Amino acid sequence: MNMLKTILAQINKMPRAALITIGLFLALGIFAPWIAPQDPSAQNLLDAGGGPSAAHWLGTDNLGRDTLSRLIIAANTSLVSVGSVLIIAMTIGILMGTIAGYHRGWVDDLLMRIVDVGLSIPSLITALAVIGIVGPGYWTMVMALSLAWWPMSGRISRGVAVSIMSKPHIEALRVLGASPWRIYFGHLLPGTIGQVMVYATADAGTAALAVATLSFLGLGIQPPTPEWGQMLVDALPYLESDPRQVLLPGFALTAAVIGFNILGESIALNRIPKPLTRRMLALRRAEVASWGKENSNA
Amino acid sequence: MNLSPVLKVENLQTRFKSVQRGKFVHAVDDVSIELFPGEIVGLVGESGCGKSTLGRSIVGLEKATAGRVLLDGVDLSTLSGAALRKSRRALQYVFQDPYSSLNDRQTVGEAIDEALIIDGLRDPTARERRTKELLDQVGLVSVVKDRHTRELSGGQRQRVAIARSLAVNPRVLICDEPVSALDLSIRAQVMNLFLRLQKDLGVACLFIAHDLALVRQAASRTYVMYLGKIVEHGPSQELYDHPSHPYAQMLLASAPEVDPRIEKSRRGPLMIGEIPSPTNPPSGCRFRTRCPLAVDACAQALPPAISLSADHDASCLLAAELHRGSRSALAIQAA
Repeated sequence: MNMLKTILAQINKMPRAALITIGLFLALGIFAPWIAPQDPSAQNLLDAGGGPSAAHWLGTDNLGRDTLSRLIIAANTSLVSVGSVLIIAMTIGILMGTIAGYHRGWVDDLLMRIVDVGLSIPSLITALAVIGIVGPGYWTMVMALSLAWWPMSGRISRGVAVSIMSKPHIEALRVLGASPWRIYFGHLLPGTIGQVMVYATADAGTAALAVATLSFLGLGIQPPTPEWGQMLVDALPYLESDPRQVLLPGFALTAAVIGFNILGESIALNRIPKPLTRRMLALRRAEVASWGKENSNA
Repeated sequence: MNLSPVLKVENLQTRFKSVQRGKFVHAVDDVSIELFPGEIVGLVGESGCGKSTLGRSIVGLEKATAGRVLLDGVDLSTLSGAALRKSRRALQYVFQDPYSSLNDRQTVGEAIDEALIIDGLRDPTARERRTKELLDQVGLVSVVKDRHTRELSGGQRQRVAIARSLAVNPRVLICDEPVSALDLSIRAQVMNLFLRLQKDLGVACLFIAHDLALVRQAASRTYVMYLGKIVEHGPSQELYDHPSHPYAQMLLASAPEVDPRIEKSRRGPLMIGEIPSPTNPPSGCRFRTRCPLAVDACAQALPPAISLSADHDASCLLAAELHRGSRSALAIQAA
């Protein structure tokens, strides 16, 4: 109950619009197959390019497919691919970063030079190269983007890990005779994951954009799977006659990217503790004072 | 003392690679100290003289480049891996800053519990009982164990840190300025706690401090360190009354006086100049560059430790005269 309250208080501090956008994105993405009113791939050429109607709330595309359903299913595609990219990239990055931060010395040098190489190549070019070799496809794209994404999280994790390792509480554990496993898994890894996750939120927007870009270029999600970038390409030839088909997926993508960026920023900023009110301070002081019983006998 | 020392440090040397190529920072140079069971020993000196590095080298947080650390007669350098961690557990370290020596993500109970697990106490109910006992020993109520360490005040955090060190039943506690980060009012409480623990548990304590009055009150013996070397050592009472190394004399005279009349009559700063760089320490006696009594012979060779009385020695060519009081570094300084 207490935990729920703290979580709610945390959420309350975040910018509401970004929170609602991302909440909507997540809800639609997770429950897309049950929410989508119609089959996103069902074609109806008689109804092609139709405007909004009772049957199709946001109209239909050039093949007569329901736009609303396609947008919703695309949220799911985007969510799954961005999620996988971030999970894979973060896992590799955090592992390499913490190992480098734990060992320092030549291990650190070696791993960070590898990261430098990764960082020096623009991520989209890395992704294009991988796709060029393996061939386009859903999981190829996920792998390619993860490969392009991990150096950044590796660099951040290494910085966080180094700062944690140099703290006296890790030295205190060493003096107590804690095993390297205990220090690594019990203290270094959880601490690093907690801090690096903050960056992941801000990164999600960029990753969503990269997925859409690759799909737009025909190198990512393949038709007929609905995807925002994919929808943009499909609608491009009809830009003049039917701009709605371009605007809708474009708007959805923009909202998701901006939402993630603002949310990530606010999470990072909220980690700075806010000053307590005077009443809370007084209560705290009274309580803290009651913990020591030394006041009388020392 | 006919007891055998619990901790014996022999000719310990710790040096770091300097930013200047091929040079070394001689942080601790050929230091030998002894600690007997149940004894509080002070280690004083200016900032940057290597006293913290000495403490850290003893517990293995810094790698000593030469010399030995013997714990109950066992040379720790002959051990490695799990055996070393197990033996070293008898040597505990209390950090200066209680705000960073505990993990903020843990509760007090978890922090102490972890130390008990590391020490090999498997039974959870026994651990719980011991946690309560330890908190009681350091003067905290047991409800604190469910609190996050970040919620505690500095003094309370330092108590938790001490309780955690005691969880592994140490023989020696190395305290690196354990109260200098605390409020004056809390300092006395934590100091009393140290004295009580040492009396009740018989833990030997190496007390690193720059607060001379504190060391005089608490420690039975005191080592004075200057630029990586022990320059004088003796029973606290005698050392404070008859300091016999020019550095010790000047260091003790630099401490502010409580009595405002005496304080007013004092003349300017006693210590002149900065401590020399430990990368290029002066030849011979390391204090000669700042010593008002320095003569040519001081630059020739390192002065040997001269025994002045039982258990009191100073590394100065003039130690005997200074001890008798026929000469004083302070008198020259004043002239």
